[in-house]
Amino acid sequence: MSSASGSAPDQALAIRASRGDVEAFRQLVEEHSGLVYRVSLRILGINDAQDASQEVWVRVWRNIKNFRGDSAFSTWLYRITVNTCLSVRRKESRRSEKEYSGDEMPFLPEPPGGDADPEAAALSAERRVEIQAALGHVRAEHRAALVLRHMEGLSYAEIARVLDVPDGTAKGWVSRGRAAMLIALVEEDHGRAGGTAG
Amino acid sequence: MMPVGEQRWEMLERIGAYAAGELEGEVAREVEQLIFERPDYRRLAESYARMLVMLTTLGNEPVEAPEAVVGYAIRRAYVSAFLRGAEDFIGALGRSYLNAFVYYLGLRRESYGGGT
Repeated sequence: MSSASGSAPDQALAIRASRGDVEAFRQLVEEHSGLVYRVSLRILGINDAQDASQEVWVRVWRNIKNFRGDSAFSTWLYRITVNTCLSVRRKESRRSEKEYSGDEMPFLPEPPGGDADPEAAALSAERRVEIQAALGHVRAEHRAALVLRHMEGLSYAEIARVLDVPDGTAKGWVSRGRAAMLIALVEEDHGRAGGTAG
Repeated sequence: MMPVGEQRWEMLERIGAYAAGELEGEVAREVEQLIFERPDYRRLAESYARMLVMLTTLGNEPVEAPEAVVGYAIRRAYVSAFLRGAEDFIGALGRSYLNAFVYYLGLRRESYGGGT
């Protein structure tokens, strides 16, 4: 997990890149391509992550002359990445968000070996697919906030800067995303159990 | 009065915040008490905790961008920088020719090269 703390070499490279230094830009791409791809993957899924990542870097190069170093380069990069992912999502038809009827609480079944089982802590391929599918059912803005908080480890202040919203909104989006994610994950789990049983 | 669905949703979010360790003071104690008293809330808190562990585990796994992404970004930047440079060069060359032409026609008094 990472956070959007600034690093001096990044700032220096970004300033050089903003003056048209392609070599500095190349170093930034090599250093941060993992971050961009990882966030795109979590927000958009495997099918769109590569195209979105490429679009992010095109936008970064196009806009880097506007980077003044007021915030950490990684915060700026997170912002472009999330905005690109959200604009990709907006172009598509809205995905169905899992409805919560409020009749019963969503529960995830206990892993076979219990929570203390180290094998249960490791994620199976099947579980990864479920998590990604469940993320797809969370509203895009809430999903972005959830990913930044619980997968990227950003603070609420950092999330608010990345999403360009007040701190309270960032908190609300994470909270709603967390609840929607649990509901979707339980549905995925039930679907799998039903599929296995059938 | 809040509808039952909304109340449930609020509780759902509050227990989520508790499981994420984001509640403090009196609110945290209230939720703790509810979790202690109600097995369904306890199971909900456990489910959240499980989900958060999964998200964190997945978030901690290293992800490498495909080589195509890195290569494409760098190539685009080099091409764009080259075109920008070429545009500047051609622009400067064009301006120089224009200045020379204007000087040649005698439309400007000062000498070519910007001197007086």
